[in-house]
Amino acid sequence: MSEAAIIFEKVRAPMGDGDLCLEMDLRITSGEFVACVGPSRAGKSLMVELAAGLVTPQAGRVLVLGQDWSAVPDDDLRSVRLRVGVVLQQPGLLSNMTLFNNVLLPLRYHRGAMSDRHREQAVMGQLERLGLASLRDRFPAELNQGEARRGAIARALMLEPEVLLLDDPVAGLDADMVLGLKAYVEDWRAHHSLTVLAALRASSPFIEAVDRLVVLREGRVEADGTRNSIREIIPSALNRYIE
Amino acid sequence: MITWVGRKAIAGYAYLAALATLIAQAVLDLIIPPRQGRGETFRVLLRQILFTGVDALPVTTVIALLLGIIIVTQAGTQLPRLGAGGLVGSIIVVTVIRELGPLVTACIVVGRSGSAIATELGNMSVTREVVALRLMGIPISRFVIMPRMVGMVLSMLCLTLYFDVVAVFGGYLVADAQLTIPLDAFAESVIRALSTTDVFMTAIKGLGFGSAVAAVCCYHGLAVRSSSTEVPQQTTRAMINSFVLCLLIDVVVTVPLYL
Repeated sequence: MSEAAIIFEKVRAPMGDGDLCLEMDLRITSGEFVACVGPSRAGKSLMVELAAGLVTPQAGRVLVLGQDWSAVPDDDLRSVRLRVGVVLQQPGLLSNMTLFNNVLLPLRYHRGAMSDRHREQAVMGQLERLGLASLRDRFPAELNQGEARRGAIARALMLEPEVLLLDDPVAGLDADMVLGLKAYVEDWRAHHSLTVLAALRASSPFIEAVDRLVVLREGRVEADGTRNSIREIIPSALNRYIE
Repeated sequence: MITWVGRKAIAGYAYLAALATLIAQAVLDLIIPPRQGRGETFRVLLRQILFTGVDALPVTTVIALLLGIIIVTQAGTQLPRLGAGGLVGSIIVVTVIRELGPLVTACIVVGRSGSAIATELGNMSVTREVVALRLMGIPISRFVIMPRMVGMVLSMLCLTLYFDVVAVFGGYLVADAQLTIPLDAFAESVIRALSTTDVFMTAIKGLGFGSAVAAVCCYHGLAVRSSSTEVPQQTTRAMINSFVLCLLIDVVVTVPLYL
């Protein structure tokens, strides 16, 4: 069996203030691209937040790259964080920095030994691949939702993480942008060993790039498998999320 | 009633403990700097000094000058009636350098920079910039809190000393023009009244006020959770608590001197 990059081990976590709980036992293999789909309040964002170590489960544990977030000592936390790129629903670009400086920030902070020229080349390369080069000097408030989101994805990939967690990466993106982002992620995966877990709110061409789909409803895994294999087994109401 | 008082006392204690923890963490981050992110952190520090210290110079100059003029005008008209016209220099040392200089500077800094820090961090929390930094492996205490705290302490210290000098100069302008006290007599009067303890206490107050204001404003800014309506609420709390804490520190530093 291949090495697991993310493991949800008998995880139970409350969803918001209600009685619903996300309950799952899931294993995502290293290098796999898994998308989690389903209606609103199904627990998709919570799944990403659990994997990112932002939420501690009530029961069970979440292991990312072999590390249990709740047990990682503070001194080692930074090194684990650098191996996991995360883009949440809100892109979180720093509002007092231009897009270029936002994408540059992880390199400036963590790769101090890298020359300025190399850092600039790396950032511009990322921005060009995502069609954001012309926006490099804009501040986050001057970007639309899709541009900000792609900027956040570029920033998350700057340190070449082993795991990428995306919460609704195609929100605010037009059809061309979605295809562009899909091509970008596929190209990145072709050249780097990257495990991707993405929460998707609605069906989009982005779903064609995934290896495996996890269908969630009210905190439960309704189906788990390739797109073709689960098409037959899930209720028709959920079919629209994978088509 | 007793329960209410007890609950408030515990809350107050927990609040002060949280502020002390923030300050202690900032000091640790300052004296044990990590290898990563020194340049970036230094940039944030410089921006804070520029905003809190350098950009505040014009308003500080105007207020200090006016305060010096008012105090010497009042002292110059009242003291001669009591036969104490020679105490003008002493009055400006006692009122401005010992008390009003640090306190008014703290008010300027709270109003300008403290509110700005609380608002900025509050907005950063709402837009999840703070979470994004954590997720990038960038510690909030090192990248966000420490540079703001150090920048504010250094700026407060320098602004307080600058305020004192400008206020004394403002006092001299009145002494010279209205009371016809020559520069050398005024300077001698001020220097005679000024002790090392006064300068030391001013510096201590500058340090104390700076640390307190920075810690309070960072604490309240980061206390914002998810709603933008929390930002003005926390900013107001930060400003009021900063003023109260500054007065508290002032009492703690000043009163023992006269006991």
